[in-house]
Amino acid sequence: MTATIYKGKREKGKVRNLFQLSSVWGILIFFTFHLSLFTFPLFAQAQPLDSIHYLNDVVVTGTRTPKLLKDAPIQTRVITVSDIEKADATNVEDLLQQEMPGVEFSYAMNQLKHMNLCGFGGQGILFMVDGDRLAGETMDDVDFTRLNMANVERIEIVKGAASALYGSHAGGGVINIITKEQTQPWTLNLNARLARYNERRFGGAFGTKGKQLHNMLNVNHTFIDNIHVHNAENPATQIVSTIYGDRTWNVKDRLTYKPTDQLTLVGRAGYFFREVVRTADTPERYRDFSAGVKGLWDITAHDQLEISYSFDQYDKSDFHKINRLDVRDYSNVQNAFRSLYNHYWSTGSVLSVGTDYMHDYLMNKNLGSKTASQSICDAFAQFDWLIDTHWEVVEALRYDYFSDSKSAHFTPKLTARYQPIDHLNLRLGYGMGFRSPALKEKYYNFDMVGIWIIQGNPNLKSEVSHNFNASADYTKGHYNFTIAAYYNNVHNKLTTGVPHYLPGDDKQLYLDYTNLEDYSIYGGEANVQARWDNGFSAKLSYAYTNERLPKDKEGHTINNQYIPARRHSLTARVDWDKQFTSNYGLRLSLNGRFLSAVKNVEFVDYYDISKGTNTVHYPAYTLWKFSAVQRFGKAFKVTAALDNLLNYKPQYHYFNSPLTDGINLMVGVSVDIEKIK
Amino acid sequence: MRSNILYILPSVLLLVSCHGVLDDLYDTPTESIDIREGQLYVDASSWLDWYYIDFNTANHNAAEGGTSSAFVKYAIPTEELSNSNPQPSAPGIYTYWYDVFGAGLSNHEFRGFTSTAAQPEPDAWHIAVHRNNVRTNGGAAYETSYTSMYDLPESSEAFADATFTPDQWNQLDVWTIREQMLQGLIGNQGIEVNPVLSSWLKVDIPPIPPTFTLNNHVFIVRFDDGTFAAIQLENYQSPAGTKCCLTINYKYPY
Repeated sequence: MTATIYKGKREKGKVRNLFQLSSVWGILIFFTFHLSLFTFPLFAQAQPLDSIHYLNDVVVTGTRTPKLLKDAPIQTRVITVSDIEKADATNVEDLLQQEMPGVEFSYAMNQLKHMNLCGFGGQGILFMVDGDRLAGETMDDVDFTRLNMANVERIEIVKGAASALYGSHAGGGVINIITKEQTQPWTLNLNARLARYNERRFGGAFGTKGKQLHNMLNVNHTFIDNIHVHNAENPATQIVSTIYGDRTWNVKDRLTYKPTDQLTLVGRAGYFFREVVRTADTPERYRDFSAGVKGLWDITAHDQLEISYSFDQYDKSDFHKINRLDVRDYSNVQNAFRSLYNHYWSTGSVLSVGTDYMHDYLMNKNLGSKTASQSICDAFAQFDWLIDTHWEVVEALRYDYFSDSKSAHFTPKLTARYQPIDHLNLRLGYGMGFRSPALKEKYYNFDMVGIWIIQGNPNLKSEVSHNFNASADYTKGHYNFTIAAYYNNVHNKLTTGVPHYLPGDDKQLYLDYTNLEDYSIYGGEANVQARWDNGFSAKLSYAYTNERLPKDKEGHTINNQYIPARRHSLTARVDWDKQFTSNYGLRLSLNGRFLSAVKNVEFVDYYDISKGTNTVHYPAYTLWKFSAVQRFGKAFKVTAALDNLLNYKPQYHYFNSPLTDGINLMVGVSVDIEKIK
Repeated sequence: MRSNILYILPSVLLLVSCHGVLDDLYDTPTESIDIREGQLYVDASSWLDWYYIDFNTANHNAAEGGTSSAFVKYAIPTEELSNSNPQPSAPGIYTYWYDVFGAGLSNHEFRGFTSTAAQPEPDAWHIAVHRNNVRTNGGAAYETSYTSMYDLPESSEAFADATFTPDQWNQLDVWTIREQMLQGLIGNQGIEVNPVLSSWLKVDIPPIPPTFTLNNHVFIVRFDDGTFAAIQLENYQSPAGTKCCLTINYKYPY
């Protein structure tokens, strides 16, 4: 049985009003933006800038070698340190939602976050910090709260299959968080932010730089209360009445040692702690311990060798307050060794070859055997061929081996960049992606609060995807324009299938991990941004995503725990920055996002699947943020921001609704101690 | 240079472990239950059973130095009677919808009734527990302001003027059938429970999962035979953290 649920006149009215509201605001923003694009230059003072500065930033994710962003052969989206500062985001979730269209975070069961980036969930997007993978997952997504934005230099996003360089779980793309290098003799920043619901954020960063040793220490603490939200009557599916807050601590230290001009050694260590009080007597705790060493050796002017080791352990435990016991029920430990050799030709071409080895250990009380482990090793080669001033071609091939399944994968990639005229880049690429079944997906056995038993499947095949992409970008003067299109075809998608009974037992439902077929995503993006020397800058990004949902082997549409990607999404930002005197400056920012409505097929009754599925309608929404940053001298900044400016409150807080409870005032202060005179 | 390399590397390599580090941060719950004199431990976490406690048996066991249980388990009847004839306060399963994701348990609607056999009981018992619910064998209860058994007056005579509350009919709180709980539908046993005693462990929704709040006041229970008991809930979790595993302090006769 399939039916479409609409939530009565009020909801329809609200959706319509929201659409109207969105339309009004959309038109307003559209015209404001275009007005700004074409009128701000009239007021521009002095000479135009030659280019948008950040295009001269170096990026590394697309090819694993440093490239100027404007010349990168792989289309790379960069969120700069300036963007991060303007967004005033606490963690990567806050930031990506504000800065990128096509990104949405929703709740998995138990209110753990699930990401959808252009149709790929967290299991298809590889998150890294300085090129290192992260351990731990919940419902296949990493813990986004551990990725705070303190000390982040930039975030590089490469959409599309990147498995030829990064292996499993990179079929939908890579998000690489690059941390800052210490450049001053010493720096000490202290910052704090307060907001509604007792939200507190405190941070400190202390950096030193000597002749050979640099060190950067970061300490961050956040807190927010549980938020009780109101829902209208007669919801169509399960709703959230309490948004759980949390308390986090994040400590990171990175020590860089440069004994010679040719050799750089980096050591790092980190600790993350998060506590969620879902039940007062048994808070849930999440911890991460990370460490690593990396050596970079410039053997000659043309040869470079990088060797690294990284350790990451992500634990989950329950703290039994009455018994004073902290009982761990999950631990994922990854030990990874990497080596990468690059040879640079004087023509600009680069050959990269490398190998990786990772030991992956999982302890989970819901695994049949409680623990499982496997070794993963790979070798890859990439040739970045700069043919002439117009053409560049990148070919890569990678081989991965997984000891648990004794399976191997070859993943190729081919990308071409063509520059027919100055300032214009055209890119065309193909990449194969794959995702090997995780240990959990093979050996899980979890009774999901009486609904069904989720069962692992040792016979799962790897998910394989084919990604085709094309893009063009043009940069001239104040402006940068980018358009991109892509098509992903996914075979053997790894997911949970259709609930079923075992023969002879019509009471207990089982939900098995399985491979699905017929899954594809296509879409595109358009971005325009501008920056003028009168202090104005603006950015508008639109993403179209068409996710053809997975079906079972018989071609039936199945229920989806998460909503598919919203077909239309848009982010916009307008900033004005002016330094009035040497001691006072002001920046005003308005940014927002709009996401269109979406429908999702969900079970009418989780306990009686014979009742079939409903198509649940999730309305469109738009969220805006206005912020003002005042600078006093060089050392002090005071920020005031109004988040959710239009005071949008979902009528129903479904797992897949934006989890907001209306307008929020945020006030923050930041002091750079070393700049106080 | 060498000394600096030696400074960086060991601190990191010390952490190397295929199965992780810092295990000592965590605890492993013990299986054994340590019970003091004047204490009972009842795993009342089952939704489908009442556990009947006889303080005379508990005293006898304590005097013998034995560890045998001072309670017996009786299942809640759930099988539908074929010739059911619903009457007010009839034994059975009363199914309610609770607004668990909205206003909470106070907003509920009656959805159905299944007639069952009456709750079986042992010959001799004083109180019975089912998760956070407590019944008395024809008794009545009074909540004191004391939070320690050691601070209580010498005898129950100190509470002679107190108002004791008897068991009362209840078809909302003895949650028995939970197969459709996520949709707010719960089948409750219709039975008399003591509202004062049952307040020793309060369950609130929202949020989901429920919040458990322990009331550590000492309760005085007056039984039909004129005897009194003082009882207190000290803990409601097992060493492994299972809710509704009750550690009860008692003094009988009091």
